Amino acid sequence: MMQWMTGHPVSVFGLILWAAGILWLMPGTKIAASRPRIPGLVMSTLGVLALCGSAGAGQSDLAASFLFWLFAVGALVSGVLMITATYPVYSALWFAVVTLCTCGLFVLRSAPFLAAATIIVYAGAVIVTFLFVIMLAQQSGAAGYDQTSRQGKMATISAFVLLGAIVMAVQTPAAAGSPVVAGDAVAGDAVAAAPAVSNPATVANTLSLKDEQHEVGNLKGLGRSLFGDYLYAVEMAGTLLLIACIGAIAIAPRREQGTL
Amino acid sequence: MTEILVTLLTVLVVVGAIPGVCNYLILLERKMAAWMQDRVGPNRVGPWGLLQPLADGIKLLLKEEVIPGHVDRALYIMAPMISVFTTMLALAVVPFGPVEDAPWWLRFIIAPNIDIGLVFIFAITSLAVYGIILGGWASNSKYSALGALRASAQVVSYEIPLGMSVLGIALMSGTLNLEQIQSQQAAAGLLGWNIWIQPLACLIFFTSSLAEANRLPFDLAECEQELVGGWHTEYSALKWALFFLGEYTHVITISFLTSILFFGGWHFPGIATAESTYMFAWLVKLMVLMTKVFMCIILIMLLRWTIPRFRFDQLMELAWKIMIPLSLFNVVLVMICRHFELSNVWLLTGSVTMFCVWGIVSTNMRRSELQAKSPGYRMAAAAPVAATSAASGGHH
Repeated sequence: MMQWMTGHPVSVFGLILWAAGILWLMPGTKIAASRPRIPGLVMSTLGVLALCGSAGAGQSDLAASFLFWLFAVGALVSGVLMITATYPVYSALWFAVVTLCTCGLFVLRSAPFLAAATIIVYAGAVIVTFLFVIMLAQQSGAAGYDQTSRQGKMATISAFVLLGAIVMAVQTPAAAGSPVVAGDAVAGDAVAAAPAVSNPATVANTLSLKDEQHEVGNLKGLGRSLFGDYLYAVEMAGTLLLIACIGAIAIAPRREQGTL
Repeated sequence: MTEILVTLLTVLVVVGAIPGVCNYLILLERKMAAWMQDRVGPNRVGPWGLLQPLADGIKLLLKEEVIPGHVDRALYIMAPMISVFTTMLALAVVPFGPVEDAPWWLRFIIAPNIDIGLVFIFAITSLAVYGIILGGWASNSKYSALGALRASAQVVSYEIPLGMSVLGIALMSGTLNLEQIQSQQAAAGLLGWNIWIQPLACLIFFTSSLAEANRLPFDLAECEQELVGGWHTEYSALKWALFFLGEYTHVITISFLTSILFFGGWHFPGIATAESTYMFAWLVKLMVLMTKVFMCIILIMLLRWTIPRFRFDQLMELAWKIMIPLSLFNVVLVMICRHFELSNVWLLTGSVTMFCVWGIVSTNMRRSELQAKSPGYRMAAAAPVAATSAASGGHH
């Protein structure tokens, strides 16, 4: 870790600057409007730029790289706006924008089904439920407890430690024993390569991908992978959700005269 | 280069045609409403009132734009935009003609070869609920908020049966691509239309799409008698019209999807089959598809004046207690038939049986529920014979 920190000072500097900017923007214990937002915005922008410059992300195709930057910057900016917004409704809406931008990135990485499913589940259902609750809770003006953020410092610090770990994992050349590289993947370029959809060692199912290069990304390949390679994981997740669903119904209070 | 030009032309045709078509659909709807209620309908502007949509459009454009002082301006302006944008975007993957035989200058689909076509449509239309919620919330009025809450609860609930009803078709055809679903039906002929193997799914799909579009009998969102105007109470002029443009675009999308998914798209035995290669075959196929879509729209309009509006708890019961279990059973039925490679006749009989059984079960459940609530129910149900005879005796 120290090696990485001394090797990539720009990344560390960017991360710290970004974290400081977010901390500044975070609505504190006082009313947030009393603090000017500009320094925080400038700090976060510079931090992100430093990080991007040191990471050297970029694509050759003009349209693809334009879209990439559009979605990436959109996701980052709306993410910051989401956690710093003082109105809960705006916060939920920025969350929706984050989801949409992330889905745009999924589409760019040729995973359209993942993008559509994420939109349906998150933007279409989860955030709508948030909005429901928020609308029912308060309709005009924001309450005092909505304008401050609880545990803002701790959350920021832990989030940026996590982000730092991810950046470090991406920037460190993969070596043997590195947690990123699993199994028999080739060291070196493994991080940038496509995720191991089908690891030949664990394939024990007739549904598994026959021709992984050809089918990765399209619907057929995804279906085979989900219900072939990851069948048990999918079924377990489904069972878990079902149990949660039954539990929610059991916990929910019943009234004598129906629900309305 | 031609690729880009063709795409641009297709987009222009769709985006240009939709508002005009919507305008004339509104005129048609008003005429049909008048016909069903024994009135004349709009007949002042132009011959048979044919210029009425133009007059309406000019009125909406030139009317004063009122933005009430108590609204959240940014979201208030954004809500109608979201409504129109999402419904228009959903049309991008809908083939509105025979894609295979299209002339070189038009493509009949804006975004061809989208692997996840149907899922894309559901994803985009699931975003349409933001228009409703934001419109209601930003208006900062109790009527709007209530309307928005109702509408969004309805839209979110009916998304589930809507998505599950087409799962059967996806399983049967092995694709979610609308063009492929259509061409498979065309290749299979009249008896290959999905309506014969998935009649129940068709019913569920059509009904829940109506609920998604907030059309009668599911227009509790507006419910003018109780809620003044639903989530768009505080809107006026063109912003108000945009909400309705969104609604009508949704109706068009529903009609296209129903025709393509269940009624064979542009296929019609004799005149428009997969083999017909005569000149202007694409025009005939286009006309066939448009006729089907038009019949769907007419059906939706007739339904509006035939079935009374649901009460809110009835609406939710219909979604959660009837449509969702039925669509689940439908998927299971398709899975069984696919797994044991049963003939398609089983799908038809299974669908009809499920519909009948569920109908009997739910009416019986309803009756026992009512009896539990009020012990006099059975007497009241038995009474009409005596009551009507007494009433008729009184009249004579």
